[in-house]
Amino acid sequence: MVENRPFLTFLTHLVLIAGVVIVVFPVYLAFIASTHAPGNFVSGLVPLLPGPHLIENYSTIWNEGLSSSGAPPIWVMMLNSLVMAIAIAVGKIVISLLSAYAIVYFKFPLRLLAFWIIFITLMLPVEVRIIPTFKVVADLGMLNSYQGLILPLIASATATFLFRQFFLTVPDELMEAARVDGAGPMKFFRDILLPLSRTNIAALFVILFIYGWVQYMWPLLVTNDSRYYTVVMGIKRLAASADTEPLWHLVMAAVILAMLPPVLVVIFMQRLFVKGLVETEK
Amino acid sequence: MASIDLTHVKKVYPGNVTAIHGVDLSIADGEMVVLVGPSGCGKSTLLRMIAGLETVSEGTISIAGDVVNQKEPAERDIAMVFQNYALYPHMSVRQNLEYGLKNRGTPADEIRSRVAEAARILEITPFLDRRPRQLSGGQRQRVAMGRAIVRKPKAFLFDEPLSNLDAKLRGQMRIEIRRLQRSLRTTSVYVTHDQLEAMTLADRLVVMNGGLVEQIGTPTDVYDRPATLFVAGFIGSPPMNLIPLTSMQGDLAAFNLPQGTDIVGIRPDKFTLERPSEPSLRLEANVELLEPVGGESHLHVGLKDSGETLVISIPGRPEIADATEIAIYAPASALHPFSAQTGRRTDSL
Repeated sequence: MVENRPFLTFLTHLVLIAGVVIVVFPVYLAFIASTHAPGNFVSGLVPLLPGPHLIENYSTIWNEGLSSSGAPPIWVMMLNSLVMAIAIAVGKIVISLLSAYAIVYFKFPLRLLAFWIIFITLMLPVEVRIIPTFKVVADLGMLNSYQGLILPLIASATATFLFRQFFLTVPDELMEAARVDGAGPMKFFRDILLPLSRTNIAALFVILFIYGWVQYMWPLLVTNDSRYYTVVMGIKRLAASADTEPLWHLVMAAVILAMLPPVLVVIFMQRLFVKGLVETEK
Repeated sequence: MASIDLTHVKKVYPGNVTAIHGVDLSIADGEMVVLVGPSGCGKSTLLRMIAGLETVSEGTISIAGDVVNQKEPAERDIAMVFQNYALYPHMSVRQNLEYGLKNRGTPADEIRSRVAEAARILEITPFLDRRPRQLSGGQRQRVAMGRAIVRKPKAFLFDEPLSNLDAKLRGQMRIEIRRLQRSLRTTSVYVTHDQLEAMTLADRLVVMNGGLVEQIGTPTDVYDRPATLFVAGFIGSPPMNLIPLTSMQGDLAAFNLPQGTDIVGIRPDKFTLERPSEPSLRLEANVELLEPVGGESHLHVGLKDSGETLVISIPGRPEIADATEIAIYAPASALHPFSAQTGRRTDSL
């Protein structure tokens, strides 16, 4: 909008504020609920201002969990989620970087076939192969373990494809100059390619960390030992209580806590993330 | 420093596409050889084969007497300057210069002194801590050359290093490259499609076309006695006039042209508008266009009878109207006899 008309300014702000309210209100409500005493939230009139039980509720859920739902203290579940999300993000990045490097820079038989096989699996979500994958993981005795949570999700066709596209834009002369300068394949990878992919790696890390953190179905399948629960599936367990009202104040405290790590990752890596999506540094 | 010898070097790409049809070339120690030719003539491929970036299909390449066919570029101890500079974008200028030395395990204090020296020679000391992105084209070019000279390699390989620069800078850098090569006395191979660059830089010129060497010789040799029709048409600006004998009127028998000659080449600047004292060829022509280019003028004329177009360059700015009939003269000594069939000179060397 080039023109500066007060009505337009008012309208754009109205739409913007409405959007923000719609997105933020549920989160706000969750926070409010987590600061009230049990029962307040379901008493018929939903409170809109913070209650007095903030510290109490959070310390209960953090340290003790909800034994009535069979859920461990939330810090255990958060730790599990953190391990899983970081391992998946780092693993995916390492594997995709290496496989994209192989596909782009080395000539070997069936290279194109390998690429297409990887590319086609882009179209298969986890859910499609979930039963055979479960069978494999179960047979390998990896139920209720970090390996079981992480390994089936550790390769990423999308990331491989993204890195391949990025590597294709790096001029060949750079590789040739490095060869003349006495850098072997791994040295070129480490000294030249990796630093150039820095922003892409950061952007992918954000996306993949969140992907790992919000995994619900897979952890639900492979864990039934509460020591290996992840927080996203744990919330479901907290909310599911037989015969009684769910303890919403504690559930909501868990929700708020579960939301924090992805938010922090986005906030702290936002600069690199945007750079990685926008900038091409060559 | 070293000599480079190519013995019957061939390059065949998959699918039986032959890019280089057997090249023999000996480059002496400290010599600057320029490979010149139109795009697609195989000159870059040949350079990349010397560098080790392309495999050699047949024949041998040796540097300082060692056959290097199977060696990695780094083991050949050559340095290359690329057309797009290929500087590492995430490293400072200093790191760019250091990288090759570090990979070779050169001691740190020697690296420091060599980088300082190269930076001084190329006058890039003020930019040592900047990134390539923050430099202009000419400065990047200097850094790319710095990266080559710090290594003190056996040979420099230049792959059209000046074609990304503007005309003025290209002229400057050309002189600098020449001066640098003279003072370092490092064997150099330089690829370009620009015949002016080739003429001014080369100790010896290798004119290539279609994967074959057309002529090897000093720039003046190649200019004065082009061995083939291709070379005659490629070297020199404006190019040599190649006139079929059939389109020339007049008595040619007097010139004793060798057997088999059916094309005569005459450089534009050899023509005069007045009859010279020595025996000369006289042609009648119509002026089609007068192009003043500053100190001289290019006269485009069509030969009477055949209409064959010639370009004549004459000093100054003559007053000649279009479509006037004139007589032009070329001294007998300026005639280059060629055979259209073989494409070669007929007064063989």
